[in-house]
Amino acid sequence: MLITVLENMGLLCSKNHRYTEADAEENAQAAEIDRRIEQERKAEKHIQKLLLLGAGESGKSTIFKQIKLLFQTGFDEDELKSYISVIHANIYQTIKILYDGSKEFAQNDADSSKYVLSSEIKVIGEKLSEIGSRLDYPRLNRELAQEIETLWKDSAIQETYARGNELQVPDCTHYFMENLQRLSDANYIPTKEDVLYARVRTTGVVEIQFSPVGENKKSGEVYRLFDVGGQRNERRKWIHLFEGVTAVIFCAAISEYDQTLFEDEQKNRMVETKELFDWVLKQPCFEKTSFMLFLNKFDIFENKVLKVPLNVCEWFKDYQPVSTGKQEIEHAYEFVKKKFEELYFQSTAPDRVDRVFKIYRTTALDQKLVKKTFKLVDESLRRRNLFEAGLL
Amino acid sequence: MFLPLILLPWVAGAAVIHEKKPLNYRCHFGTYWTIPVVCLHSLYVAVLMGFTRAIRHIEFRFHELRDLWQGILGSASLIGVWVFAYILNEIHDDISWLQVASRFMLLLTASILVLVFFSISIAQPLLSQISLRKREPLELKTMGQVLGIPESGLLLQREQAVDIDPNEPLDKLLLNKRFRQSFMAFADSCLAGESVHFFDEVHELGKIPIDDPVRRIYMARHIINKYIIAGAAMEVNISHRIRQEILATTDLTHPDLFTNALHELTQLMKMNLAKDYWSSMYFIKFKEEARMRSCEHEMEEMRGYDFSPRLSSVNATDDPFHQDHFSRGFTQHSHASYLR
Repeated sequence: MLITVLENMGLLCSKNHRYTEADAEENAQAAEIDRRIEQERKAEKHIQKLLLLGAGESGKSTIFKQIKLLFQTGFDEDELKSYISVIHANIYQTIKILYDGSKEFAQNDADSSKYVLSSEIKVIGEKLSEIGSRLDYPRLNRELAQEIETLWKDSAIQETYARGNELQVPDCTHYFMENLQRLSDANYIPTKEDVLYARVRTTGVVEIQFSPVGENKKSGEVYRLFDVGGQRNERRKWIHLFEGVTAVIFCAAISEYDQTLFEDEQKNRMVETKELFDWVLKQPCFEKTSFMLFLNKFDIFENKVLKVPLNVCEWFKDYQPVSTGKQEIEHAYEFVKKKFEELYFQSTAPDRVDRVFKIYRTTALDQKLVKKTFKLVDESLRRRNLFEAGLL
Repeated sequence: MFLPLILLPWVAGAAVIHEKKPLNYRCHFGTYWTIPVVCLHSLYVAVLMGFTRAIRHIEFRFHELRDLWQGILGSASLIGVWVFAYILNEIHDDISWLQVASRFMLLLTASILVLVFFSISIAQPLLSQISLRKREPLELKTMGQVLGIPESGLLLQREQAVDIDPNEPLDKLLLNKRFRQSFMAFADSCLAGESVHFFDEVHELGKIPIDDPVRRIYMARHIINKYIIAGAAMEVNISHRIRQEILATTDLTHPDLFTNALHELTQLMKMNLAKDYWSSMYFIKFKEEARMRSCEHEMEEMRGYDFSPRLSSVNATDDPFHQDHFSRGFTQHSHASYLR
C-alpha cells in the first residue's frame, strides 16, 4: 500500500517535473523571442528610412541601382546575366515602337514622305515588330542585331526617333542601339553601365539597406532606401511607406518637359511632376521629413534644351531664352530650379518651414556624381540629426 | 438593328394611313385603329418578357429578373395611361379641359416611351440600363464564382505541381493554379499583386466558352471596372494606348480583348517579381508543400531565409489587395487612413 502510494507520488513528481521543465523551456524561448524583437527594434531605431519618390521614368530605380553598386556588394555575375533578357527586351520593344511610330507618322503626318520606309526595310520592320509583340523574346544574335542596326540607321526611323517625345521611346534607346554588336555577342555579359541603362518599369516596392561610409561603420549612418513604381496606379501603394520617414528623395526628370505620361498621353510629364511634388509636400506624415529634390537626367536636359525650347511646357510658359550654348543651358536649369523652389515654398505650410529642403543637379547614370550627391545628402541628414538632438 | 425593327410597323402604318386618307385638320384616326396600336404595344411587352425568360438562367444571381419585371410593369402601366388618355381624347372631344389634359398625357407618356427605347443599348447588359442602383454580388467572393466558371482540374494533377522549373517562362508557370496562388501571395506582399490578380481573372475569362457572350460580357466588364479604367480599385500598370484600346472596344466578347495588356503585364512581372520570387520564402514554402503532397512525407521544419529584397519592415495592414472593397479614390483613402 505504502509502496504504491510512494510510487504514485514518484510518478506525480516526475510528471510535474517534466511539465515544469517543458514550461521553463517554453518560457525561455518566449523570453528569447522577446529579447530578439526588442533588439531588432533598437537596431531599427538607428536605421534611417529614405524614400525614393517621383513620377514614372524619373530615375528612381537608377538611383537605387547606383546605391547598390556604390555602397553595397554591387552586382555579381548571375545578377549581371539576369539583365541580358531585360536589355534584349528593351531593344526589341524600342525598335517596335519606332517602326510602328514611323508607319503612323507616314500615314497621318503632313510631311509624311520623311517617314516612308523602303520596301526592304519594311520586310525587316514587320519581322522585328512581330518579335516585339511576342511574349518571349529570342536571344539577340548577330543576324538579328544586324537587321536591327539596318532599321535603326534608316533615315525614316531616325526622323521618327527625332520625334521620340511623342512615342514613349525609352531614354536608353540611343545607348543600346549604338552598342548592338557587343550586346549580341554569344558570351555577352552586361557591364555595370549596361545595367544602369536597362529600363525596367518598377511595380510594387523594393528596399535596400546601406551605409554611405562603407567599411567604417561607426561613423556612418545606416539607411534603408525604398524604391517604388512611379506610374499613377503605383502611387496608391506609396502610402504604406509614409510613416517614420527621415527623408524623401524626390526625383524629377527635368528633360521630360516635352513628353507625355506613359499611362496618360494627354498629360505633360513635367506638369504631372509638379502636381505630384505638391501632393507629396502636403502629406501630413512628412511634417518633419527632409526633402532632397534630385533634378535628374541633366545629361539629356543639356542636349535637349538647345533644340526644344523650355516654354513648350505649360508650367514653363513664361521662360525666355537669353543666349546660346553653355550659358543658355545654365539659364534654363536655373529657371527650372527656381520653379521647383517656388513650388516648395508655396506647398509648405508655415509650421513646417524648418524641415530641410535641398536641390541637387543629378544624372543618375553618372556614378561619381551620385556618390558625391549621396555624401552630401548623408552629411545634411547627419547635421539635421545633431541639430534635433541638441534641441531635445 | 433593334430600333428600326421597333419603328418599322409605325412607319408602315403611317404610310398606309397617308395613302388611304390624306391628313385632315383634326388629325385623328378612327376607333378601329386603336386595336392594332394596342396590339403592337402589347406585342413589345410580350417580346420583352419572352426575352427575359430566355436569359433568366444568368439573371438570377444579380436580382436582375426583378428589375426587368419592374421595368416591364412600369412600361405596361405607361402604355395603359397612354391608351386611357387616347380613348378619353377620342370619346369626349367636346370637353376642352379634358382634351388638353389627355393630349398632354399622350405626349408625355409617348415621349417617355421613346426615351426608354432609345436608351436601350444591346451592347451592354440590361442591368446597368434598367436599374440605377448597382448591386454587387456580396455572397460570392470572385466574379468567376458568380458566373459559375468551373475550377480548373489542375488541382487534381499532383505531379504537375511538383516540377516547377524557374527557367520555364512565367506565363506558362502561372497557368498552374497552385503556383499562381503562391506567386500571388508573394506579389501581394510586395504591393504588386494587381498584375497577378488580373492574370488570374483574365484566365477565368478564357474558360468561358466563346458561344456564351452574355457571361463573357459580364466578366469583361467586371475586369475593366476593376483593373483597366483609370483610378480603378486595382488599376494595373499598362500603357495609355493599351488602356484606350480596351476602353474603346465595341466587342466585349472578343477573345483577344485583354491579350495586349496581359503581355505587357507578364513582361512587367517577369522583370520585377520573378527573380525575387525564386529567392523568397513563398517559393520555399511552395516547394515544401508540393513535396509534401507528392511524397506525403511528414512535415519537416522549414529552415529558410527570406533573401528577397522586398519589404521586410513594412506591415501593410491596410493592404488594398486583401480587401474586397477599396475606396474609389486613392487620395480619399489616404486621408481616411491618416484621420485614423
